[in-house]
Formats: sequence, structure tokens, C-alpha cells
Amino acid sequence: MLEVSRLSVNYGPFRALHDVDLTVQEGEIVVLLGANGAGKSTLFRTLSGMQRPSAGTATWRGQPLTGGRPEYNVSHGVSQCPEGRLLFPDLSVEKNLRLGAFVHRRDAAGTARELERVYSLFPDLVGKRNAPAGSLSGGQQQMVAIARSLMARPQLLLLDEPSLGLAPMVVEQVFQAVQRVNEAGVSVLLAEQNAFAALGIAHRGYVLEGGRVSLQGSQQALLGDDRVRSAYLGV
Amino acid sequence: MTILFQQLSNALALGGVYALVALGLTLVYGVMRVPNFAHGGLYMLGAYFAYAALNSLGVGYVPALILAAVAVAGLAALLERLVFYPLRNAPHVHAMIAAIGVLFFFEAVVQLIWGADFKQIAEPVPGILNLGGVVITWQRLIVIAASVLVMLGLNFFLKRTLTGATIEAMSQNREGARLVGINVNRVGMLTFAISGALAAVAAALIAPIVSVAPSMGEVMNLKVFAIIILGGMGSVPGAIVGAFLLAFAEVFGGFYINLDFADVIGFAALVIVLAIRPQGLFRRGT
Repeated sequence: MLEVSRLSVNYGPFRALHDVDLTVQEGEIVVLLGANGAGKSTLFRTLSGMQRPSAGTATWRGQPLTGGRPEYNVSHGVSQCPEGRLLFPDLSVEKNLRLGAFVHRRDAAGTARELERVYSLFPDLVGKRNAPAGSLSGGQQQMVAIARSLMARPQLLLLDEPSLGLAPMVVEQVFQAVQRVNEAGVSVLLAEQNAFAALGIAHRGYVLEGGRVSLQGSQQALLGDDRVRSAYLGV
Repeated sequence: MTILFQQLSNALALGGVYALVALGLTLVYGVMRVPNFAHGGLYMLGAYFAYAALNSLGVGYVPALILAAVAVAGLAALLERLVFYPLRNAPHVHAMIAAIGVLFFFEAVVQLIWGADFKQIAEPVPGILNLGGVVITWQRLIVIAASVLVMLGLNFFLKRTLTGATIEAMSQNREGARLVGINVNRVGMLTFAISGALAAVAAALIAPIVSVAPSMGEVMNLKVFAIIILGGMGSVPGAIVGAFLLAFAEVFGGFYINLDFADVIGFAALVIVLAIRPQGLFRRGT
């Protein structure tokens, strides 16, 4: 289980996260709602080891995630698919995926197996395996990004804004894939602005406002909450 | 016609040497985003290490070349640790100034040990090859063959091995590389070591043709920076194409126009290319 406790992150004098408490149980999809600048990406960067917190703890299955070493977090089962994808644009799709399995570099057979799995999850990528990742459409690049983070064989997948800038049909495809990954046993923490699509597949959710958790609850509770409905669902 | 071929072999040998030095510089720039002004110093040290191995240790030419490559590779990795790593979060200009300091430091140390006068390395295979009237020294052939071989090896390493891919990955997206668990410090050191080894090999190859002097690093610095700016900072194919373009411009310009103008012609070509493509030949416009 992911346990985040009283986590605070400062950028100089600016406090981006303030005493955040959050959990993700094994097998859950938990959605993190919030406007731009609410602190979603800061939380994700902290959980993947890119950013060190100024106070508080975050652990996955008891392992600390706050050491500031992303390679530690990835090799302990926490893999992030970042906002903006951060692919290697001139490398082929397949090389991007193989680099996703960098922490398993001594296990070639396992990486080959995982490659088969992500290609069956995203069949669109099979025909593009030798194309430079940067030449793909936005939706396909998002698939490469998710597939790359899956190549690390995560137990917890951190998905930051996977639907950003994608056509509605592609968004649906991406969310179906996330659901299938979750059904295969991967816990998911999903940050989204597309609240409706995200709540559709999530078990629980948190709302982040100004770096604080302002609301939390089950899928049903959030879908029924007036504040969520007016702020994030536009109804 | 024979003169043309002779000039061609000169240009190919010079281009090969430029390419090896420029490749290391462009790899380091791609990974660290810092122009390493000490790179010419590493090249110069490579020549002196080869000279010392030949004359003090008394080993043969090939072992001397390998020893120089290994020693400069280690020194370059140390340079990353001691100079560039501590400055990684400082403004870039700090690292640039530090690198220039390192260049002068290397020159001063070399002058202290070996003196300021020119040194000569004997050709490992003396003499010339006569191919139907075209006269080529064996050393030029060795330079051409060895530099092509090293470039093929480097290409294999970058394109076909996972460790090589981490270098390309880091130069294309540093954050993405960290997220998949690539240790950026290790890749940084490795890239510096490779750049040092390439510079030392280039220096040991050309040393029997030119003379070895403490100032050779500064001259080479000027050329390889022009080359990687021409080819596009951080671009591997750009470094190779830029190197041969500059070498051809220098050799043929020097021969057909005036030898004194050789350097001018090379840099004039640079100015013209940059006026048309400011981002360099092989870099996408941003």
C-alpha cells in the first residue's frame, strides 16, 4: 500500500504541498483531481523520487520513496508515466520501451515477455516499433509513455494527466488500457483534469486544492458531490 | 589528378582526427548541456601521454595509444566528478569558466613536466605508399583506417547496446531518463570518459604527422567547437559531417587558394552555413 503522511514540499519560499495525507490500497485505482497548479505534479514528482519533500513521509509497501533517487523508487515497484510524456523522441518506440525496463537490464527474458505484454495492450504500437517516438501522433506517444512506464514492471503506477491534449476517442482507449493494467494487479494513482473519465474507472479519489487535500471519498461520493460537480465535471 | 587524390587523403586523415575529437565534445554537450572548454586540453594530454609512454616506458606505438586513451578517459571521468558535478546546479557560465581554468591548468602542468618546446613522435610505420603515382604516407592511411574503425565502434556502442542507449536517452530527455531509473551521474562520468578516450586516440594518431606542443589543445578547441556548432550542438552525425567539411575546406582551400588562408576558409564556411541554418546542419530548429 502507498502511504503518504503529512507530506509537504517547498520550492524556495513557495509551499507547493501542505500536509498531504493519502493512501492507495493494493489493487486500487485512485484518482487525484485538481486544477492546474494544485500540486498534483509536485506530489507525483515527490513519489517518483525526482523531488525531495521538506517534511512528511511517503512509503510503498514500507519502502521509503523520499530518498531523492528515482532509480531506487523504480526498482522498488513505483513507476511514473509523467505529464508531457518525456519520451526519447529520436529513439525508436521499441528502444524507448527497452529503456523503460532499464532497472531490469539483467533480465532479458523478463523484458522480452513484458514487451509482448505491452504490445498486446497497445496493438497500435506494433506497426510503429521501429519509428522514432517523436514521429507518432499525440495519442500514440501517450501509449508509448504508458507502455514505457509499464516496462519497469510496477506494482504502483503513477499516471500524470494521461488524457492531456488527446481526442475523446483516444482518451477512452487510454483509460481502457489503464483499467486492464489495474485488473492485472497494478495499483494506480491517476492525476486528471478530465474528472469525468477518471472517476469512471476509479475506486476512490482525492481533490487537491492549493496544495492541500480538500476532499476525499469513494467514486460515488465524489460523483455526487456538488463541489466536484461544479468545479470538475461542469454540471 | 594525382594531386587531387593526395589532397583527398590529407583531408580524410584530418577529417578523421577532427571527427574523433568533435564526437567526444558533442556527446558531452548532449548529456551535460555544458560546453567542455577543457576538451582540447584532454586532446593535448593524450598526445603527451602517448609521447611519454613511447619514450619513458618504451612501449610500442599501439600500446602507447591505448595507454594514453585509458589514462585520459580516467582523467576525464575525474574531471566530471571534481569540476562539473559540483557545479551541476550553478549557472552554466560557472562550469564554462571552470573548464577554461582546467584547460590552462593542463597546459601549465605539461609545460612544467615536458617543457614548452615541440616534441616529435616517430611514425610507427615509416615511409610512403605509392598507388599508381598517388603518394600517401603510411601514417595517413593508419589515421584514416583507425578513425573510421573507432567511429564504427562508437556507433555500434551507441546504437546497439543498452548502455549506449542511456547516453542518447539522457541527451534527448534528461528527466525522462531519470524517471526510468537511469543513474545520470554514472552516464555523465561514462560520457566524459568516452570523450577523453576519443580525444586521446585522435591525438596519438595525428602526433607522428604534426608536432606535439602544449598549445595544440587550444588550436584544436577552436576547430572542434566550430565543427559541433556547424553540425548542431549534441548531434553525432553533425559532428562527423562537420569535421569532414572543415577538413576539406581547409585542405582544398589551402591548396587551391593559399595555404595561409586554410584556417580562414574553414571559418568562412562556418559563418556562411550558420547564416543560413543558425541551429546547425543536423539540429531541428527550435
